[in-house]
Amino acid sequence: MGGDRNMARYIDFRSLELGDRLPPVTKDPITKVQLVRYAGASGDFNPLHTDDQTARTAGMKGVIAQGILIMGFMGQAISGWVHLRDLKRFKVRFRGVTHPGDVITVRAAVMEKKGSSEGEVVLCNIIAEDQNGEAKVSGEFEVLNAIRDNR
Amino acid sequence: MADMSKEGQGLPPFTFKVEQVKIKELIHAIGDNNPLFLEKETALSEGYRDIPCPPTFITLAFQEFTGAYFKAFEALGVSLQNVLHGEEIYEYLGEICPGDMLTCHMIFQSIVEKQTKSGRMFLITLGTRVTNQRDEDVLKATSLIIEKMTQDGR
Repeated sequence: MGGDRNMARYIDFRSLELGDRLPPVTKDPITKVQLVRYAGASGDFNPLHTDDQTARTAGMKGVIAQGILIMGFMGQAISGWVHLRDLKRFKVRFRGVTHPGDVITVRAAVMEKKGSSEGEVVLCNIIAEDQNGEAKVSGEFEVLNAIRDNR
Repeated sequence: MADMSKEGQGLPPFTFKVEQVKIKELIHAIGDNNPLFLEKETALSEGYRDIPCPPTFITLAFQEFTGAYFKAFEALGVSLQNVLHGEEIYEYLGEICPGDMLTCHMIFQSIVEKQTKSGRMFLITLGTRVTNQRDEDVLKATSLIIEKMTQDGR
């Protein structure tokens, strides 16, 4: 089972070298509706993400995006690059707030390649930055190039 | 203010069912259009047993389905308005698909007090082991939560 999986649309992590960059993913501008939608999907109805008045009272210029939504953008990029069965670890650090209208681009590059008992592990750094190049969320992820591929 | 004596304790295990419609809601909120998460045929053709969970799906579980984050804050005596999400780490150990029954075992892994230029804070690490209906470990989540104390110590 699984032998016929279509790998053509994914990056071949076996062929990557240190420093290689993955194709960046640029998202449409964040919208207020999107924040409401994410609030509904996640069940986190913190008004900081949906109500401008509350956000201003808290010292923001208006509603801010959920950090996990931006992590979701990064997850979208990763699922376009990697067959998820090979994704072993994904770590992020939340660094800055994001507002509606901001345009997030997700970038990643190969940082390290190391051996493990299961195969070669490719460690990549990943960053979500806005239209001004300001880092909003950064982190890393690990892809396993399994020794046997007939899982 | 985080109750440091709670370190090593946790929430009682909680179980929820993975629903395909929740995956769809998440994917639409993200603005993804990856057919892998929307069409079973695509998932099957790529060797999955069903639609796989997107990489950040488990976060929803900690919020909506179970309110686990909020229960943890309550148990620790942490005030929600002082809370910042610092880091999130997922280790993927097995496939998660719709219909799976996941059980989360959340532990208050560590609570560290820190004095910084911007004031006093607590760094709280929540570690959650997620198992499925076959008692297989499918995911491990680690959340670093920062509780910033206001000047007057509240």
